[in-house]
Amino acid sequence: MNQNLFTAVCKGDRNKVKELVNSELAGNTSPNVILNESMIPAIRNIGERFSKHEVFVPEMLIAARAMQAGLDILSPVLAKAGHKALGKVAVGTVKGDLHDIGKNLVSIMLKGAGYEVNDLGVNCPVEKYDAAVQNGATVVLCSALLTTTMTYMKDIVDHFKSNPNVKIIVGGAPVTKDYANSISAHGYGSDAYEAVQLVDSLFKSA
Amino acid sequence: MPQTSREIVRRSLDFDTPERMPRDLWVLPEMERKHPGILKKIREAYPSDFAWLPGTSNFNWISSVYNVSPRLKGNPYKAGEYIDEWGCVFDNVYDGIIGEIKKPLIEDISDINRVIPPYEILPSDYAKARDFVNSFCGNSDKFVFGSCCPRLWERIQFILGTENAMMDIMLYENEFRDLLRIIHDFNLKELEFWASTDVDVLMFMDDWGCQNQLLLRPEIWRNIFKPLYKEYCDLAHSNGKYIFMHSDGYIIDIYKDLIEIGVNAVNSQLFCMDMRQIAKEVKNKITFWGEIDRQHVLVSNDLEKGRAAVRKVAESLYNPKGGIIAQFELGTGANPDMAMVIYDEWEKIQKR
Repeated sequence: MNQNLFTAVCKGDRNKVKELVNSELAGNTSPNVILNESMIPAIRNIGERFSKHEVFVPEMLIAARAMQAGLDILSPVLAKAGHKALGKVAVGTVKGDLHDIGKNLVSIMLKGAGYEVNDLGVNCPVEKYDAAVQNGATVVLCSALLTTTMTYMKDIVDHFKSNPNVKIIVGGAPVTKDYANSISAHGYGSDAYEAVQLVDSLFKSA
Repeated sequence: MPQTSREIVRRSLDFDTPERMPRDLWVLPEMERKHPGILKKIREAYPSDFAWLPGTSNFNWISSVYNVSPRLKGNPYKAGEYIDEWGCVFDNVYDGIIGEIKKPLIEDISDINRVIPPYEILPSDYAKARDFVNSFCGNSDKFVFGSCCPRLWERIQFILGTENAMMDIMLYENEFRDLLRIIHDFNLKELEFWASTDVDVLMFMDDWGCQNQLLLRPEIWRNIFKPLYKEYCDLAHSNGKYIFMHSDGYIIDIYKDLIEIGVNAVNSQLFCMDMRQIAKEVKNKITFWGEIDRQHVLVSNDLEKGRAAVRKVAESLYNPKGGIIAQFELGTGANPDMAMVIYDEWEKIQKR
């Protein structure tokens, strides 16, 4: 592990991350090693500390942005080297709901964790999730901030009920594990870190 | 002689044993439109002890006091695009609720010169505006709100976009403080007007909580925001007004700070937090201006949940001397029948 790179991601030092990733690549370190041994552990560390309430949303956002800066450099190199993402997922805030911070955090955490993420944005009707699935996503993550919009999650779960290859994870402020169970979602993430862990477990069990 | 609404609220805020708990009901426009009959019955059976000046609607500016900004376009409670008096552009999906910021006013905090507060909306004739407000207050026996609700953090999110606001506070503290000062100076000017009238209470708001933790590190909040909020509280108190704050989310970490700066009543999502812990830390030191769980109780069809929620608040925070205002919000998707049940349960508790 490059401890300096790990620390730079955790601290959200975007410029330092760029500098260190470039320097590692110049030194012929494999892009997989840079990603898997320094950057992914860093963003997971931040996510875990967020889950434990040791860090707050701004620190998480800054770390995610630094991670993204590193990924922007690494992605073309990884693609050239034939690197494959851990899986393909879609993330969106449900129809009627325009809130996106939670959804964005989940999206960035998933990218950081090595997944190919189709970020569908906000106010997503079921057709949008469906198109993402047609495009290869096998896990769909639905976010809602409002009690009135979270009910739309059931429409999404019902829509994909006949497709056993698609798993639905739900989350957002008013959503609970009980609610997720009541609509037969495949998982509930109480925060971005938990969402990533759930996606990990779904892909491992697939 | 029965106590007036104004006296009931004051006694409750002062822990001076009102004859009953004050009541306050918030209703979003969509609910007014959908359930006029039920709402009329609720208001007849359990009238609110609070009053807003005529024309005040969910903190919109009232025409008898304010001017209309030329920057204002559309209606915040209508589906579609809305531009507010600061020039911030909102997008809304449904009628009856407020939308979300669509495009930040400035993409980069260094563009601070483009942020121009809407001083043009403040009263053109202060004496005339004051007369209008005072005449209303003089004719009401209710506890009257000043019709403004300044917010620092929310405004800064509207200006920068939420994600940039959250990062900029950490990365560019000096510029962030400069922007905050521009907003704060406008807020003070607006509050000064209301403090000079006969209204009973001023208020301000900012949502400081996520579902289970504060949005920012408490020390950052204390360092940057608390001193500015204290100026609002000082302004209110030096003019003989009470001051209330609304803040959604998990905010248990800052209750003591709110007490310290002089907030008289706080409207917060009690059900996001450990109410016993709240009681242990701050019961009898501040008034809880509601609420009842909007996320799971008020939207339920099971009316017993409403009664249980009231009992839960009462078990932790009720004191016949004061400290609770029976407030809750009937927002989009709420079950209006819940209101009768909640007020009924509060009555039972007070008769025990």
